[in-house]
Amino acid sequence: MNIKMNPLLPESDAREAALFFVVAALCFLAVLATLVARGTYTAAEAWTAQVEGEMTVLVSDTDRRGAETAAELIEALPGVERAHVLTDDELDELLSPSFGPGGIPDGIPLPLLIAVDAEGDTTALAAEIDATLAEAGVNGRADTHSAYAAEVRKALGTLRIAAIGTVLLLTMTAISVIAFATHAALLARKDIVDVLHLAGAEDRFIARLFERRFWLLGLKAGAAGSVAALAVTAIIVFSAQSSSAPSELLPKLSLDQWDLIILAVSPIAGALAARIAARVTVGRSLRSSL
Amino acid sequence: MTQAGAPLATEPAVELNGVSLRYDTADDILTDIDIRLKPGTFNFLTGPSGAGKSSLLKLLYLAHAPTSGEVRLFGQRTADMSRNQLSALRRRIGVVFQDFRLLDHLTAFENVALPLRVSGEKPEDYRDEVVDLVRWVGLGERIHAFPPALSGGEQQRLAIARALINKPDILIADEPTGNVDPDMARRIFRLFIELNRRLNTTVIIATHDMHIIREFKAPVLKLQDGLLFADTAYEQA
Repeated sequence: MNIKMNPLLPESDAREAALFFVVAALCFLAVLATLVARGTYTAAEAWTAQVEGEMTVLVSDTDRRGAETAAELIEALPGVERAHVLTDDELDELLSPSFGPGGIPDGIPLPLLIAVDAEGDTTALAAEIDATLAEAGVNGRADTHSAYAAEVRKALGTLRIAAIGTVLLLTMTAISVIAFATHAALLARKDIVDVLHLAGAEDRFIARLFERRFWLLGLKAGAAGSVAALAVTAIIVFSAQSSSAPSELLPKLSLDQWDLIILAVSPIAGALAARIAARVTVGRSLRSSL
Repeated sequence: MTQAGAPLATEPAVELNGVSLRYDTADDILTDIDIRLKPGTFNFLTGPSGAGKSSLLKLLYLAHAPTSGEVRLFGQRTADMSRNQLSALRRRIGVVFQDFRLLDHLTAFENVALPLRVSGEKPEDYRDEVVDLVRWVGLGERIHAFPPALSGGEQQRLAIARALINKPDILIADEPTGNVDPDMARRIFRLFIELNRRLNTTVIIATHDMHIIREFKAPVLKLQDGLLFADTAYEQA
């Protein structure tokens, strides 16, 4: 006689469907927030490095040729990646916020500016540039944009903290809500827990049934949420890459190995939260009886 | 202390000493109950609704711990036992619940097999035994049916089969014939008596049915307002 055995826990019902949706949605949000935060963090790093690695040297009492010679001297210094005298067009662009789209009016004397891209500590390099120019008889002074860079650093530091804080908050919220929803779904199964308990099942046997059920549910739902987040991220990355004017200020979303790790870890974290909640809830329920 | 296993012949199967039970801050449901039931005795528990019969049975099938006093089963003090030992002890107790407590998502076969399944036995080892018992309670044709598809009487017989499948040392039944016709009620009681005689099972049945009590002439534990006031210490040879 062939007798089919059904699982001791009933197949998924409406309450578990709701739990599936909650886990999937929270994993989706957590993954998306993590990817955006990571992109923001990366963008902030790059932008800070860019601002901190730039300085301007104002040269006076010389012509353009003298300025170009000074730029060559600066470029020869260790730590300097590039030094060049700004062209009139570059100056126009630089000063356009002050003079508007009409450009710099004729007759206004333009300064000779050397833009320096450097790596490392620009404060020490600025002193070295000043000394080199003085030694060469060029009247010039390096400006590290220190006040501006400090403001930028401060703003980006706040942005980083906000990004990390958002991810932590969302992750903790996701775990808490998943645990709460699991708890609620489990309470609806208390009748089954009681019957199994009174039939002589050990606590571990009962806990395992529920842990396995909610672990698998969490994994499936988390995977669904992560895949949805992956799809949304891919669309954003594709849109950003195909945009004609990509902005350095926008989060640098990508899909590298770290992002894929985040996508893989998120469902596991969600499933783990559900599993732990199941274990705790079943344990409490059983301990409340003899 | 004896190990969880065969009871010593001289020890009562069930012993309650000064047991009281109270839920939360309410008054005592049971007050200072003393019971000693030797192995292999057949007992009725009776009393009006609200007297505490179901609460007393819950203490016996280890659903609750007493508020005070001690419960001993097979000579072992339940308060001293680990949770796993208590689970092992529950497997020696068959219970027919008043509300049946069948699992709706399991078939009749699976509901009856539940106590064997949770103790880790394999389906091929208990299949024939379960099928025979399901047939015996008259549900052979409904072995694949789920409880919601069964009548009240059929569900009750299924609950009885589940309580008996482990050949329990103690059988506890809370109004086990409430939903069956008189013929089936007698048949069920004869089964209980057969189990009691052949396997030396200690049987405790809560019932209002005075006809059955008179017909089967077993000792009666009477509860009223949480007090056990008569027949408190039957000593059967």
